Amino acid sequence: MQNSIKLLNKYISVNLRSQLQYRLTFVFEVFGTILLTLTEFAALALVLLKFENIGGWTVGEVAFLYGTINASFGIMDMFFSGFDPRNFGRHVRMGTFDQLLLRPINITLQVLGLEFQFRRIGRIMIGVGILIYSVQTTSILWTGEKAIVLFFAIIGQIAYFGGLFIFGATITFWTIESIEVVNILTYGGSDLIAYPMNIYPELLRKFFTFILPAIFLNYYPALFILGRPDPFNFPPYAHWLSPFAGMLILFFSLRFWRFGITKYQSTGT
Amino acid sequence: MRLFIEIAMRAFRLQMSYRAAAIAGLLTNFFFGILRAVVLIALYDGREEMLGLSLQAAITYTAITQAVIGYLSAFSWYDVANTVYSGEIGSDLLKPINFYSYWMARDFGRAMAALLTRGLPIMVAYEIFIDISFPNFLLNWGLLILTVLLSWVVSFSWRFIVNLPSFWIPNAFGIGRFFFMAALFFSGFLMPLRFFPDWVVKLAYLTPFPHTVNTVVEIYLGVLSPVEIWLAFAWQVGWIVALILVGQWILKLGLRRLVILGG
Repeated sequence: MQNSIKLLNKYISVNLRSQLQYRLTFVFEVFGTILLTLTEFAALALVLLKFENIGGWTVGEVAFLYGTINASFGIMDMFFSGFDPRNFGRHVRMGTFDQLLLRPINITLQVLGLEFQFRRIGRIMIGVGILIYSVQTTSILWTGEKAIVLFFAIIGQIAYFGGLFIFGATITFWTIESIEVVNILTYGGSDLIAYPMNIYPELLRKFFTFILPAIFLNYYPALFILGRPDPFNFPPYAHWLSPFAGMLILFFSLRFWRFGITKYQSTGT
Repeated sequence: MRLFIEIAMRAFRLQMSYRAAAIAGLLTNFFFGILRAVVLIALYDGREEMLGLSLQAAITYTAITQAVIGYLSAFSWYDVANTVYSGEIGSDLLKPINFYSYWMARDFGRAMAALLTRGLPIMVAYEIFIDISFPNFLLNWGLLILTVLLSWVVSFSWRFIVNLPSFWIPNAFGIGRFFFMAALFFSGFLMPLRFFPDWVVKLAYLTPFPHTVNTVVEIYLGVLSPVEIWLAFAWQVGWIVALILVGQWILKLGLRRLVILGG
């Protein structure tokens, strides 16, 4: 365990040093990441000037959903980039994954250490920025309990999307190419929960409640913190469920990952 | 011209051969399209019409934007920059065709294949599942085809320019990303331009970007008067001429200092 932590530290510092080699490129990329999320949010916020609300939520309230998910997706994306199906698929295709398997170190740890994308700091910063904007415009009455709910919500989101990255990476054992359809669950899922869940058709909402429990990650914590009523009459502790939903997905993804490794056949390149 | 068609045909066939990728891309584009349609439906909140667009037109708008993602390479396109970094450009420059026309031909073939395998199926899927509107007269179909073609030329000519910094710097993707982002916003891809405040629309029209997606959307939906339609075409052609000239000029400067390492 102690060894693993030491190794992880090494991985992180190697990644950081190599990414800071091209200082200007790094700054450009951080800035680019900030702008991307900002333009997407700005498009919605500007349109809300004329449309006033979406699903009964004001721009400040939607900003709460938007900011939270972008901050936690940014954190997740930074630490799980090794599993990002797009990057990981390349290792399977080129056969570099075989090299990792030969080393006498836990394989999950090694894949985690393959890449830490520090430019994602931009997405975290803009997420926090949008969250602060929301807190200022909605005049939330903060309590200790609400702060903990928010913290748990973020933990749940990181685990959930990290789990989906691992799931997507495992699939590439069979498909070799990374498949774009996984994007529906990862990027699509994070886009989906950036809006109030009551705007979705019932079928879609039920899917993201009972099959993939994404509704608990962002929507329920936000309802609680913003003091909005629950239109679906869930039990009053629903806003605490985010970490459980996240861990559930992470747990099953890791199981699937280990199963995938036992079935892994090299491409031979 | 024959060479142009030959190269375009090859690029077309190459793109057509990625069948699994096309199906996966189709599903993804469709899912995100539905998501965006749901957001617009929620924004309309029971209203029949907002700012000159009916609800059905707004849903159709999401279909069109999703349909042109592949066709216009809306998210990223660094094909030229990649050949500069790999050195492949060396052999491309030896080809008996002007370098600019060569890339135009390649991108034309790629774009046409994307339109067939990703654009049209999206529209069909939308029509089956959600019911969208179509241009109602033969003339409108003709205008639509013309503007769709012109929008590709506008798109190609700015995408080519943002690939050119690769002649000067070791990583041109950061700069490129800025332009692709600006394009998503100002082309009316994220939201229809007419939903934005006036000052944003004015700002957008200082750039070439609205003359790609937004013009196609407005001509498709038939919200422009005949005069406005001709004006839209004039703007497209004007930007095409300007961007192609600028692109070729920067290319000339870049080629003068290009060094290809053997290997």
